[in-house]
Amino acid sequence: MVHVSFRYIFGIPPLILVLLPVASSDCELEGKSGEEYQNVIMVSLNDLDRIRENYSNCLNNEPNFFKKHSCDDDKEATFLKTAARKLKQFLRMNIHEEFKTHLQIVSQGTLQLLNCTKKEEKKSSKGQRKQDEMCFLMILLEKIKTCWNKILSGTKEH
Amino acid sequence: MYDPTKLLCQRTCFARSPLLRSCFHSWGLRMTILGTAFGVVFCLLRVVSGESGYAQNGDLEDAEPDYSFSCYSQLEVSGSQHLLRCAFEDPDVNSTHLRLEICEGLLDIKCLNFSKLQEIYFIKTNKFLLIGDSKICVKLGQRILTCRKMNIVQIVKPEAPFDVRVIYREEANDFVVTFNTSHLQKKYVKNLIHDVAYRQEKNEDDWMHVNLSSTTLTLLQRKLQPDAMYEIKVRSIPTGYYKGFWSEWSPSFHFRTPEPKGPGKMEPVLLIVSILSFFSVAVMVILACVLWKKRIKPIIWPSLPDHKKTLEHLCKKPKKNLTVSFNPESFLDCQIHKVDGIQARDEVEGFLQDTFPVPLEESENQRFGGSVQGPNWPSKHAVITPKTFRGDASRRCLAGNGSVCGTPVLPSSRSPDCREGGKNGPHVYQGLLLGPGTTNATLHPPFPFQSEILTLNPAAQGQLLLTPLGSNQEEAYVTMSSFYQNQ
Repeated sequence: MVHVSFRYIFGIPPLILVLLPVASSDCELEGKSGEEYQNVIMVSLNDLDRIRENYSNCLNNEPNFFKKHSCDDDKEATFLKTAARKLKQFLRMNIHEEFKTHLQIVSQGTLQLLNCTKKEEKKSSKGQRKQDEMCFLMILLEKIKTCWNKILSGTKEH
Repeated sequence: MYDPTKLLCQRTCFARSPLLRSCFHSWGLRMTILGTAFGVVFCLLRVVSGESGYAQNGDLEDAEPDYSFSCYSQLEVSGSQHLLRCAFEDPDVNSTHLRLEICEGLLDIKCLNFSKLQEIYFIKTNKFLLIGDSKICVKLGQRILTCRKMNIVQIVKPEAPFDVRVIYREEANDFVVTFNTSHLQKKYVKNLIHDVAYRQEKNEDDWMHVNLSSTTLTLLQRKLQPDAMYEIKVRSIPTGYYKGFWSEWSPSFHFRTPEPKGPGKMEPVLLIVSILSFFSVAVMVILACVLWKKRIKPIIWPSLPDHKKTLEHLCKKPKKNLTVSFNPESFLDCQIHKVDGIQARDEVEGFLQDTFPVPLEESENQRFGGSVQGPNWPSKHAVITPKTFRGDASRRCLAGNGSVCGTPVLPSSRSPDCREGGKNGPHVYQGLLLGPGTTNATLHPPFPFQSEILTLNPAAQGQLLLTPLGSNQEEAYVTMSSFYQNQ
């Protein structure tokens, strides 16, 4: 009996501690009024749309990343956080300075508005073709824009 | 009972007691030294912090200079580059070795250093995140003198407007003010409020202000002084998410308002039209006056035909030397014979060819052969031939007293020609009608011959002789005559 109680005492709490970050969100959305998004982040996203026209021949296959991370209900902040951090990986690409500046504004601005506390470990992306990376980037930007609009429209309704 | 363990312990402790005592003494000494050291360090720290003048809470000593500063930002001032400009508020600050540094609110970097131009510190970069606050610190070397938290999007100073123009619209009696601003092509600071200020140049401080969000303004002419010189200028301030300060004033534009139009002043076109219309009306009036009688009036007011005038036109005009008059005095030369009745032509001629005188009664009876005779048949009606009755008889035939002389009316007799007529022979007269005046009055024959001839019956009513024309005509004639005499 002592062994059984010992197991429950020392086994379950760690399990709870491991599962708790999955259920809870470490980000708190501050820019719910939409002013920062409409006057700063959306300006950069619109400028990036012009660049996206050059990559219209991308395949319609959705990468696996978006199958794992999506802007579901009550998970918008988590998705934006993940997507914004993913954007940072593209800053190391050999791209135009103005393009890079807009990516930084979208990424860093989103993270600042989300006010996330926990930082994830940096994961290096696998080596892919530039064409594939650009296609993935365009899809990522579109997803970020859609998720922001969903948050703000939901805020206005409330 | 004596316990060897206790004894051993006691002996050990006792044996050790001098050591413990020495240890205790050494420990105390160490603690004392440590405490003293900490106190000294604490005092030193306090002294050092007081000397540095670190005044985040504003508690400055009197000897510390004022390192307060103010900043403003200008976004997209050069392409995608933003400008942040700061300066010390106290002009006496010796900024020789001072530098400014901005941290937080930057893209992918932690801090940026300001550049210095004379007394102005500035940064020109596109590394502003434009979200959240930034911290700007004044540093002397590595020592931070003062810091200030600022949000770059809330200290925006727009660029000054330019190209101010004023256009006068005569048909609308207003002035259209237009100007341009570089923020129309910018991506971030697009929503601005413009302040348009205008004044009359002679009134130096009397500025009128109008706020608007567009770049066009309309000023009504009636709200401005006529024939006056005006000055106008514009400035802007951001609104919405971006906030900040007023921009610099645009270059002034000068314009003059038109002179007032006088009451007698008319436009050239209107003047020409009025002159032409006046002359045309005058010409029409003159033509109307000239052609009124001949052409216009007969059409507008045609004259009805007058029978008298028509007769005058139809009848022949008498000779100029002829004078027509119905004045009996003009007929004094004429022999006027009273005619009792209408006689046929033959009888008259016959009467004239027979010897004269013919008994009047017989002659009268003959003459009245066809007439209605009675005891009172007017014997006063006598036929006086022109031959037998001349001279004074005519003189006594005064106008208005036809009964005296019983003058018959000879339709064809004319006074100047009376003598001629008498000479040529007796006039043929028919259908003679005698007036009632001739019947009632007594005639005084001028000649005794005539008294024999003329047998007047004053009591006799004037009756007319009937012509032997026809039974129907006689009846009509009688009716008419009786009607005439009974009036």
